[in-house]
Amino acid sequence: MNVFKRKAVLRTEPAKRKKKDPGRKVFVFLCVLPAILFLAVFLYYPIEETFRLSTMKTTGLSNEVFVGTDNYEKLFRDEEFLAGLRHVFSWAFWSIIIQLPLSFFIAFSLTYYSNKLTKPLQAIFYLPNVLPSAITAMLGKFVFAPNYGLIVSLGKALGWKWLASIDFLGNPDLAFWSVFAVATWAYSGFYVIYLMSRIEQIPKDLREAAELDGASMWCYARKIVLPELNYPLRILAILCTVGSLKLFDLPNMMTMGGPGNATVTLGITLYRHGFINWNYGKAAAIGVVIFVLSLVFTILQFSLGRKEDETI
Amino acid sequence: MKIRKINPAGQREPPAERPIKRRATKIHYGMSEIVITIVLVILALVIIIPLVVPLLFSFKTQLEFAYHPWALPKAIRWTNFIEAWKAVRIDQGLLNTLVVCFGSIICTIPPAILAGYVFARYKSRVTEILFYAILIGYFVPVQMVLVPLYRMEVSLKMNDTLYGLFLPMAAFGIPFWTLIFRSFFKSIPREMAESASIDGAGHWRTFFSIMLPLARPATVLAIIQVFMGAWNDYLLSLILLSDQNKFTMQLRVASFLNSYGTDRMPRYAAAVIISALPTLILYLIGHRWIIKGMLSGAIKE
Repeated sequence: MNVFKRKAVLRTEPAKRKKKDPGRKVFVFLCVLPAILFLAVFLYYPIEETFRLSTMKTTGLSNEVFVGTDNYEKLFRDEEFLAGLRHVFSWAFWSIIIQLPLSFFIAFSLTYYSNKLTKPLQAIFYLPNVLPSAITAMLGKFVFAPNYGLIVSLGKALGWKWLASIDFLGNPDLAFWSVFAVATWAYSGFYVIYLMSRIEQIPKDLREAAELDGASMWCYARKIVLPELNYPLRILAILCTVGSLKLFDLPNMMTMGGPGNATVTLGITLYRHGFINWNYGKAAAIGVVIFVLSLVFTILQFSLGRKEDETI
Repeated sequence: MKIRKINPAGQREPPAERPIKRRATKIHYGMSEIVITIVLVILALVIIIPLVVPLLFSFKTQLEFAYHPWALPKAIRWTNFIEAWKAVRIDQGLLNTLVVCFGSIICTIPPAILAGYVFARYKSRVTEILFYAILIGYFVPVQMVLVPLYRMEVSLKMNDTLYGLFLPMAAFGIPFWTLIFRSFFKSIPREMAESASIDGAGHWRTFFSIMLPLARPATVLAIIQVFMGAWNDYLLSLILLSDQNKFTMQLRVASFLNSYGTDRMPRYAAAVIISALPTLILYLIGHRWIIKGMLSGAIKE
């Protein structure tokens, strides 16, 4: 037996090596090349440039002076940037507090009572998520516009003066919440279908067992579904946070960050500094801040994923 | 009923108790089912209403709207739609958006499939390093590189071209899709490739005639997702395009929002309908696939 084994090993090993060596390297090289090329031109080089620019003071197109960490120091005294930072984190906080529970309620009740309405309702709840952000912003303005907007018209028709006189987007105290409401309308659908797909993966016998024990719907949701969804909910919370860090489209198109700095986000400050004031150095520094913050949360997401490898 | 069967002694439970209990629970479920369904329908209406009300507004003249916003329009007038069409020019934007969508599909998916396959099946120190190099792209938000990207495109004269838009878009998509295809190819049993190579197929042959066909369902979902991503892009096109003729659908709508206010509400409402229609039609046709594609990406995330 021993002799046989050794012979077999001897026979296969050199053959394997001979057969694989030349073609394999070429194949690997050619397969990875396109991806690496794309990333080198449009990612690695700009990343390097961002770090370099963030330490430069740029005035003209080619006039660059090294200033060290001056751009960063200035940022943390910049009213607009600080407002952006504040808004981004309160946006993340309120998304987790409002959007996730709402989505969980919808997802849970849609799967708990699956009937003829389930599929159409699911399609409706997901619909706003596929609308491009410009159209979402357009609809948001349609609903919240002063004088003729949907809510104001409704207030007029009902004779409620207080409702008809609200300026949702022009009032600094309300603008943030109006944009947030539009975002809730637009983005919750994704959380709904994601949570639905996760709830459907929970074994059916758990529910049968719970019902046999006389568990109510509330009890089943709290004692069985929520613990089972622990991991996906945490992932969604992180997605919410990273999404808020990158928030740009809706506030930019609905209010352009205004009135004043009421709806400024990190993305909008970057856009204002980089492409309106043409201050590349500062804009690059904001880019680095966004990168570092989202890196922290993305690593958190990956480390959560590692723990429950079977779900990935 | 089940309990009665399981009962090892073969005894029947007293029959008087069971029916009452079951009826009670059934009524309980029925009530809450109705209440919750009503709540869900109300929430669905909240989603639908902003999309339907513009129809009511858009056929009216400004005067008619100011006095009776909620009444049915007295006559079907298309003037608002004609004006809104001229203001938005969604047709041109749509054409550009479609070019960007297809360009970004073609540039994202083949490199991602190839790289994902290699990272799943060819493990060595070199591929490991390359994998981490690509993984970096997954951690980088678009916002971070906007300024250098813009400057680079200007110096290469690539700004204001559609390929100057979809090439970086593809570069941002490739890392994510490489991860997805890597885990997909990892899930295919190793024996399939091994049996092919025993039959004398080389690396290329194994990939193209065995692995690629197997990856078709994943590829279809990836195509849908990349399409939706390009369809929804706003930030990159805002930075990279300034020529009106090259504007994507999103930029058309955004510039309409900038230059026309909501004071002439009927025309605005008509513009809402015109702008939302392409996406709504797309969703009506393919919502099952879109939802599926979205989930397939999300679960792996």
